[in-house]
Amino acid sequence: MTRVVTVMRLQFVNRRTYVGMPLVILSGAFLLAILILLLVPTDELKFAGGAVAAPLWYFSVVGWQALALTFPFSQAMSTTRRDFHLGTLLTAATTAGILATFYLVISLIEAATGGWGMNGYFTIPGLSGSQLPVAALSYFVVACLLFLFGYTCAAIAKRWGGVVLTSVLTGLSIVLALAIILVIRSGSWGTVVTWFVTQGLLGTTLWGLLLAVLMAYGSYLMIRRVEH
Amino acid sequence: MTKVVEVKDLTKRFGNTVALDEVSFNLEPNTIYGLLGRNGAGKTTLMSIITAQAFASSGKVQVFGEEPYENAGVLRRMCFMRDNQVYPDSSKPVHAFRIARLCFPNWNQALAERLVADFRLPVATPIKKLSRGQLSAVGAIIGLAARAEVTFFDEPYLGFDAAAREIFYDRLLEDYAEHPRTIVLSSHLIDEIANILERVIVLDNGRVILNDATDDLRDRAVVIRGDNTKVAAFTAGRAVIHRQALGALSAVTVLGHLTHQDRAALTANDLDVSPVTLQQLVVRATQAAAGTAADQGAAR
Repeated sequence: MTRVVTVMRLQFVNRRTYVGMPLVILSGAFLLAILILLLVPTDELKFAGGAVAAPLWYFSVVGWQALALTFPFSQAMSTTRRDFHLGTLLTAATTAGILATFYLVISLIEAATGGWGMNGYFTIPGLSGSQLPVAALSYFVVACLLFLFGYTCAAIAKRWGGVVLTSVLTGLSIVLALAIILVIRSGSWGTVVTWFVTQGLLGTTLWGLLLAVLMAYGSYLMIRRVEH
Repeated sequence: MTKVVEVKDLTKRFGNTVALDEVSFNLEPNTIYGLLGRNGAGKTTLMSIITAQAFASSGKVQVFGEEPYENAGVLRRMCFMRDNQVYPDSSKPVHAFRIARLCFPNWNQALAERLVADFRLPVATPIKKLSRGQLSAVGAIIGLAARAEVTFFDEPYLGFDAAAREIFYDRLLEDYAEHPRTIVLSSHLIDEIANILERVIVLDNGRVILNDATDDLRDRAVVIRGDNTKVAAFTAGRAVIHRQALGALSAVTVLGHLTHQDRAALTANDLDVSPVTLQQLVVRATQAAAGTAADQGAAR
């Protein structure tokens, strides 16, 4: 366990990368969104939309760097791949937790003040009670997923090279596009939407968590064989 | 014989290229080794595999009698500093040392601080902004202060000025005298480090072509200089590894001990004899190995 904590300390050498930058992006996006919402002259529901996701995208960059730049140093520090992997994912989870906490606090304030008294929302509007922590949990899961996405991409690039990574990403995009075309062609949007509605926010979040666990395991298998 | 590292029939292929070809040797405790050879001879690959950072295609490596791969108990007793070591993105030397202190059980903070002062390393400057020599100093300091039982330095002096190189060698010897351990220096500057090496392993084209005590190697070959015909007569039938002619004079490097009769014959024929430096010997040995390989290739 101490060795895993050492890796966390090693990752947190980049405190700016892990905590500073995401918080700067989150508060920047927040202030900008509120400012714009203030300027919109309507009493109807105002939602800042994608602004809240701004720091999440950055997480995929953090995930990439965690592997590409810090793994070689952890190898020089004679840590095992397993300890590196566990320590890094725990670091990511901690950071995602911090971000989700900020999200939760903002959403609680927005729920209590009716959107800052102007019906304007930075977090997902229209939620109340236990839905708020669930929304924060999904925020956490999405942050973890994006981190794992960047981390897994870096693992593929280190394990098999840039060409393979590009092929995998292209392949993934094609599969996704085909799936969407298939859904549209067969007119089954309704079914897809119904599925998500039945799962609810919590259900969908848990599916996301399952995907995160699979990605964490998959990237571990790659890291075990990365050569240096 | 006790050994801390045992390498047996180690082969590493990258596609069609054979980087290491059935390499076998042992590293003994408390010895300073030179891992020498030309660029691309396989030195870095070999050290990467011993420290479980890369994988062998076949053969095996044991460190302290165990497999090093994912073996935390074995790994933390080793330290491998690369010439092109990558550090975490926004880190400063002081961060790197703090982490090293947590990772290496024998880490000596006083030594690290002394080396920082000796190398005049700015510890609060981001590593990205350090000069090549300062970057090498970070690696050299970690490698020395870690006091790992088996320490590998891959070209530790890159970018060092003469003063920094001397500091590195001096401190290494000083600390080694008080805390003996196994140190492997991979280097091109052979003559410069020849004095501190106790044993030499020379890799060429992925094969071990020399593995001897440095003192034995020094006696292994001599250069005979003098009149062409007299030199030719003396060296006939001996293992010649290098020949250089300049007008009526030639200098020929031959392997093997000189007997008393040999010495007498040399004096009688007015021939000069001088020892070869370690660097010359390694260069000649790799050239000879290349020649043999070419001959074998032609024979096939």
